[in-house]
Amino acid sequence: MSLVYFKNVSKAYNGSLILDNVSFKIEPGEFVSLVGRSGVGKTTLLKMLIKEEAPTKGRIFFNEKDINKIKPTEVTLLRRKIGMVFQDFKLLTQKTAYENVAFAMEVAGYPENMIKKDAPELLKLVNLESRANNFPFQLSAGEKQRVVIARVLAQRPELILADEPTGDLDPINTWEIIKLITKINELGTAIILATHNKEVINTLNKRVISIDSGKIIRDEEEGRYLI
Amino acid sequence: MFVILKRIFRTAWQGLIRNNWLSIACISMLTISLMILGSILIFNNVSHNLIDVLEEKMDVSIYFNREVPEEDILKIRNELIGNDKIAKIEYVSQEEALKRFEEKSSQNQTIMKALEELGENPLVAFLSIKAKDTSYYSEIIEEVNNSSFKDKLMTVGLAENQRVIERINALSKGIKFGSFFIIIIATILSVLISFNTIRMAIYSLRGEIEIMKLVGASNWFIRGPFLLEGAIYGLTASVLAIVIFMPLVIWISPKLETFVSEISISSYFWSHFWFIFGIQTLFGIGLGMIAGFWAMNKYLKA
Repeated sequence: MSLVYFKNVSKAYNGSLILDNVSFKIEPGEFVSLVGRSGVGKTTLLKMLIKEEAPTKGRIFFNEKDINKIKPTEVTLLRRKIGMVFQDFKLLTQKTAYENVAFAMEVAGYPENMIKKDAPELLKLVNLESRANNFPFQLSAGEKQRVVIARVLAQRPELILADEPTGDLDPINTWEIIKLITKINELGTAIILATHNKEVINTLNKRVISIDSGKIIRDEEEGRYLI
Repeated sequence: MFVILKRIFRTAWQGLIRNNWLSIACISMLTISLMILGSILIFNNVSHNLIDVLEEKMDVSIYFNREVPEEDILKIRNELIGNDKIAKIEYVSQEEALKRFEEKSSQNQTIMKALEELGENPLVAFLSIKAKDTSYYSEIIEEVNNSSFKDKLMTVGLAENQRVIERINALSKGIKFGSFFIIIIATILSVLISFNTIRMAIYSLRGEIEIMKLVGASNWFIRGPFLLEGAIYGLTASVLAIVIFMPLVIWISPKLETFVSEISISSYFWSHFWFIFGIQTLFGIGLGMIAGFWAMNKYLKA
């Protein structure tokens, strides 16, 4: 049973085709990198998985459930199973690091005592226990991204979508984030990493799906960045 | 349920404190809106009181010729009482008319001396008529003028009253009509001010709403604290509006009373304090919540 299945998916904006008849499967616990130039449709592909965008043609399955057919009320449940890490972090600016993590747990319906116990643990896991009461504007880019990862972990997702998570980070922070994401994957969570960071892809030595002109041009196990 | 309520209260309170300038702006604009509403309530009462005072002061006095005996006048009174436009008729005899005149003019020595030198009562008996509605006065005057007892009357006084009655009627209609339009315009104005302020506040938080949705929060999970925040804005604004009103009423009331002594804003304000505060609070909370709900829907649907 595949965790994710894109079946002949196409997406067009104002008549211009961004993704053209894309098909691929991702198994539970797998680590997949999506590579391609900027504007090639990597983010669109991820957005379709959390139903922020709808495909123009084709079907997308998550846990064998057709995402296009789920009701609007079920979208929230889908998004609790799929964590997202963004290049621009998307942290709640009015909440502290702790509150951002706790918020994801509240959304998922965890009891208060569990939130009080687990949220600090998760911040400790990303080495941010001392920054728990800081607001996002008081954190560095690397720290913000680590809070995002802690927030995603709080959701206990089956799949994490990381859209250029190291795009705004220096090399040291980039590797810290990649290490964290790899560690999460080793613990059993599937990852889709969209990036155009050649060095990261070539070091990971994991499955790579290369997209160009809206089509999958290469899908290799232990692939390399060849665009 | 308790956990959900606790979370909503905590998040709403955090939102209020952490977005303090936004909260101050919203509360200030809502306070202005509620003060407009409070002013409307008071203005409406004052204008209607003014009409009541004028109407209360209004009457038509039918003066009889000196030679008409009291029995005839009382017979005419009994005849007029059956008229369904008339609320009350008071008979004032020659003696009673003189007594009232003397009481009224007791400070004026010239008048008192002239009365004394005259040696007899120069006043005549009359019927003081109060109509059920001010609009009936003209008709009553016309009916009296065309009645079977018209020869027994001194009709000059009636004609003068008619002009005053017409003016008061026009003024009364004008006030009622004007206050209705002022109420409509002021209400629209206060609703627009509040809606736009809260819409701007929600607009500035649209990014947060988007993130909450991406994390998997349901629409009601997101809405709850924002709606409560709107309600707190409304409640705070209502308290502020009534607190600002207090010294204003104390200051304005005596000034207005020098023009129309029967109208007291302060007595109306204090006797209707909880009514005004209640209406303001309901309006404020309602506005805060409805505006928040409406403004958020746009971003929750996106």
